[in-house]
Amino acid sequence: MRAVKTVSVEVTSPKKKKNNNNNDKKKKKQNQTEKKDNQNLLKKMTKSANSVQTENDASLKIQELEQQQQNTTQELSATDSDSDSDYQVFSEDEVSEDYESLRESEDGESESSGDEVHGSDDDVNNDNDGHEDQSDGSESHQGVEESDSSEDEVAPRNTIGDVPLEWYKDEKHIGYDISGKKITKKERQDKLASFLASVDDSKNWRKIYDEYNDEEVELTKDETKIIRRLLKGKAPHADFDPYADYVDWFKYEDSLHPLSNAPEPKRRFIPSKWESKKVLRYVRAIRKGLIKFDEPKEEEPRFYLMWGDDSSTAEKANRLSYIPAPKSKLPGHEESYNPSLEYIPTQEELNSYQLMYDEDRPKFIPKRFTSFRSIPSYENAVKESFERCMDLYLCPRVRKKRINIDPETLKPKLPSRKDLKPYPATCYLEYKGHKGAVMSISTEASGQWIASGSTDGTVRIWEVESGRCLRVWEIGEPVHCVAWNPSSELPVLAASAGQDVVLLNTGFGNEEEQKRVGELLQVETHTASDDSDNMASIVSWLQDDKLGGIRLRHFKTVTSVDWHRRGDYLSTVMPSGESRAIVMHQLSKKLSHRIPFKLHGLPVSSVFHPTRSIFFVSTKKTIRVYDLLKQKLIKKLETGLREVSSIAIHPAGDNVIVGSREGKLCWFDMDLSSKPYRILKCHPKDITNVAFHRSYPLFASCSDDGTAYVFHGMVYSDLNQNPLIVPLEILHGHTSSNGRGVMDCKFHPRQPWLFTAGADSTIKLFCH
Amino acid sequence: MEFNIETPELDEKTLRRAQVRFVTKLKAPLKVPNTSIAIPSNLTRFGLSSVVNNLLQSVNPEWKSEPFDFLINGELVRMSLEQFLLAKGISAEKVLEIEYIKAVVPQKEEEPCLHDDWVSAVDGSHPGFILAGSYDSLGRVWKAAGSCTHILEGHSGAVSSIRFLKSDGMKNVTVATSSKDQTLRLWKFDAEDLINHPKKINAFKILRGHKASVQSIAAHASGDMICSGSWDCTINLWRTNESDAEGDQVSTKKRKVNNQVDESQFEGEAVSTLVGHTQCISSVVWPQHETIYSASWDHSVRRWDVETGKDVSDIFCGKVLNCIDVGGEGSALIAAGGSDPILRIWDPRKPGTSAPVFQFSSHNSWISACKWHDNSWFHLISASYDGKVMLWDLRTAWPLAVIDSHKDKVLCADWWRSDCVISGGVDSKLCISSGLSIQ
Repeated sequence: MRAVKTVSVEVTSPKKKKNNNNNDKKKKKQNQTEKKDNQNLLKKMTKSANSVQTENDASLKIQELEQQQQNTTQELSATDSDSDSDYQVFSEDEVSEDYESLRESEDGESESSGDEVHGSDDDVNNDNDGHEDQSDGSESHQGVEESDSSEDEVAPRNTIGDVPLEWYKDEKHIGYDISGKKITKKERQDKLASFLASVDDSKNWRKIYDEYNDEEVELTKDETKIIRRLLKGKAPHADFDPYADYVDWFKYEDSLHPLSNAPEPKRRFIPSKWESKKVLRYVRAIRKGLIKFDEPKEEEPRFYLMWGDDSSTAEKANRLSYIPAPKSKLPGHEESYNPSLEYIPTQEELNSYQLMYDEDRPKFIPKRFTSFRSIPSYENAVKESFERCMDLYLCPRVRKKRINIDPETLKPKLPSRKDLKPYPATCYLEYKGHKGAVMSISTEASGQWIASGSTDGTVRIWEVESGRCLRVWEIGEPVHCVAWNPSSELPVLAASAGQDVVLLNTGFGNEEEQKRVGELLQVETHTASDDSDNMASIVSWLQDDKLGGIRLRHFKTVTSVDWHRRGDYLSTVMPSGESRAIVMHQLSKKLSHRIPFKLHGLPVSSVFHPTRSIFFVSTKKTIRVYDLLKQKLIKKLETGLREVSSIAIHPAGDNVIVGSREGKLCWFDMDLSSKPYRILKCHPKDITNVAFHRSYPLFASCSDDGTAYVFHGMVYSDLNQNPLIVPLEILHGHTSSNGRGVMDCKFHPRQPWLFTAGADSTIKLFCH
Repeated sequence: MEFNIETPELDEKTLRRAQVRFVTKLKAPLKVPNTSIAIPSNLTRFGLSSVVNNLLQSVNPEWKSEPFDFLINGELVRMSLEQFLLAKGISAEKVLEIEYIKAVVPQKEEEPCLHDDWVSAVDGSHPGFILAGSYDSLGRVWKAAGSCTHILEGHSGAVSSIRFLKSDGMKNVTVATSSKDQTLRLWKFDAEDLINHPKKINAFKILRGHKASVQSIAAHASGDMICSGSWDCTINLWRTNESDAEGDQVSTKKRKVNNQVDESQFEGEAVSTLVGHTQCISSVVWPQHETIYSASWDHSVRRWDVETGKDVSDIFCGKVLNCIDVGGEGSALIAAGGSDPILRIWDPRKPGTSAPVFQFSSHNSWISACKWHDNSWFHLISASYDGKVMLWDLRTAWPLAVIDSHKDKVLCADWWRSDCVISGGVDSKLCISSGLSIQ
């Protein structure tokens, strides 16, 4: 090891000399390259050294050496900083011309062989001399010739080991000999003297200063010869023949005896059991017809679409499929270096880009360049390729199953509007006369008359067919609700105004009926006091002679009035009445009752079931359904609405529609669930009222947006079939005033006509 | 015959000519020579009319020009001749026979008869006077425009229908009215007496029996029987004779006992009731001896046999019907209008179909009344809530004339003296448009 190291130092030294001329900064870099050079040199040298040995040996040696060399390079790198100073020291040595020439020949060897020959001639002579000199006693070049046993024994004089020599730079000794004594530095000749000496000394070019041992070593002739051969890339030793004849030691073709004398095994002569089994299997398969010979084999396609979409092939595989990366966008015309003029944005467009949001702004703005030369480097190249890499690397790839469905087919199959005729569509008649918003309308059972109540404090009766106003009652207070008695024998109208509910005699009917009604609408003042004190505080029955009817004075404002189908009972709702909010009045006995149910929430309206003794109470959020005979809650309908404004019962009684202040209409199928069967969001504003037609499958909603919607709402007697709801028509016509639009809508009892009462103080009749 | 027509000399190349011959069923002074002439094919009705007037003038120099209407193959020409021929696919090569008739145009708008309230019913079947019923529950008899002779007082509700029954010339005029107070009343007066102030008359007979407003009455040709349609979905038949059944007398006796107001007032009961309609019967007509037609809000037109009291046939139209009249060709066509702007005309003689043969749809709103002309097969009027009365000719789809004298809904309309159209409306006016020359 030691020896190798010294060699390396020696061999590199000539190179180092060259570096000396260069400035110090470069040195470190070159160190690296020099290490490589060292390696090569070493290999070559060791080759020459081992030339006598067999190839095997040589390769072994080389391996060994390479290991060693690795070590040295490690050492070198470890002592990089130190080696600088080493070389410094080196550089201080005299540089002989001979070395220079040697180096030159080394450089130029590849160029001309003539030089080489010339040089080698010279060396041959020197070689011999040097050899003799060396034998005298220079212990320094043991490393060069390992094979030389005599020199192997010579130990280096210095024993400091592998430490930077720098450490001893300022010392007077260079190290210690084997016995531990200091080896003092030799006196240095001054440069001039040494130069002169070197000029005189003809052997000076062969001398090398060994810093480690602080002595000059003179290369022998053999050594220089080896170096030369190495430099030429030949085997170091002249006697080594790299192209020796090949000797085939293992040739035995014509030899008498085989390599193995074993007899043939038995198995070579027995037919294979497994093969026969296999054959049997094939035979069976052929008999069964599993294997067919006639069928031409499916030829694999000789050609395949090289640039085809690999997604299709990937889909065939059953296993986790490979999802190809999304292809990046190919450049188009606008990305050209010289795009057509129409691609170039004008100044206005550029300005408009500035006003856009970042995400809307075009990513690439085309520019023109007159030539390739003037194209600058693409500024986003790194960024974009980085993002692309990030996408490929990080973005999860999912194959999206795209369903090929025509969106039209997803629409529910609704019958055409034409098939659902008749329904109200056009307004032909208007009923004008009110001075204020018409709040409520009610139709007479036969459909000849309608009654309306308005904020101008009047109740009017109109003839449907002509639009004639027949009667007017001045109530005095804004009328909130009117309700015509459903019984045709009792032409009585109930109207709520403020805290009062007024029962009016309409004056229709023949004399008998009039007589009966007249009697019915007579209240003896005493009967009121017969009620419990509790009820008297809520409602009092008073005779109103001016209007010719009964005035039911409540303790709170009444908003909703509804007649029972027989026309004897009447329910009124006072939203602010708390527990006494809903009161039921009996006309024939002039009695009032509280309903025996606890109210949850603010009541909005109450409706009687059209056929059975069932009572619906709608509060702001829910609809409660009570059985009046059993006096218990049957059902609770959860509307999910913010504020219920109106309710209507289907004439069959099992379906309920509920309108809300947020413009939503809920259809409840009470047989189905207590949740809405359908929620229709059609009105942009509050729904003020909803209505069912008595005989046609129609229902309507009216809203503050000034429109009324007409729907087809068919309820089937077959319980398995859900109701069919089809929107039919939007009825415009009312103008909104003070933010109120259509206040009420009612169907004609027998015709598919819709009456709408508007805040514009008109009532309109929409006919089919 | 060489004849020069004064037509604007247009570009000769574009001007196409048609060989025509004018024929007419009109009497002598209106006849033109029966020769074929070539006229420009771009002539309209006005152009043709001036051609005929020129022809007449050439025969009779004192001829005053008059508007004519032209019929080609039984259809009235309502566009230029060229267009008409194209539309109808008639060859212009042959000699075209054009029949001309006097144009039916109201000449004069007479002064309206002002009422106190909406005029809901008119009847012009007697040439001597006009009957009008109003929402102020009074019936009125008008001698002429602006001269009211009698006021029929007694109803407590709006008069919905008024009908002339019979008279001996101008004497002993019997009139029936129906009202929304569920009764019918019969009135008698002498139309001859001329008084400055209208004379108030009381009904001589009250017909009770309907349970709801009576909408319409129709009289038998003899005037002895009337029928009435009502909101109670029934048609009642009544006798109109003055002094008869015992039941009547009993009831009058009762009444006399009760209040003794009017000695001459009888009460009548329905002879029979026709049940079948499911909704309000808005209009009835009794054109023939034993057939009554009725239109109802249940969208049907029914024909009743008076003898049996059964409905013989019905036509469904899908809309509420407000008015019906029977007339036209063979007095068989049924015209009816209702809750839409279309006036429909059915021909019940057509087998196997209930589709209307004519549909006139120039109105904008409900049709409140329709009436055939008594003598013409082709002419009828219709009144509508859009304030217009239209005169129709079956031979064209366009109205012959639009009488736009009302400000508001027109509730009733009728012919009078076969050359006037009378109509009453919501503006409380009874308008008379006269001067219609219908042969």
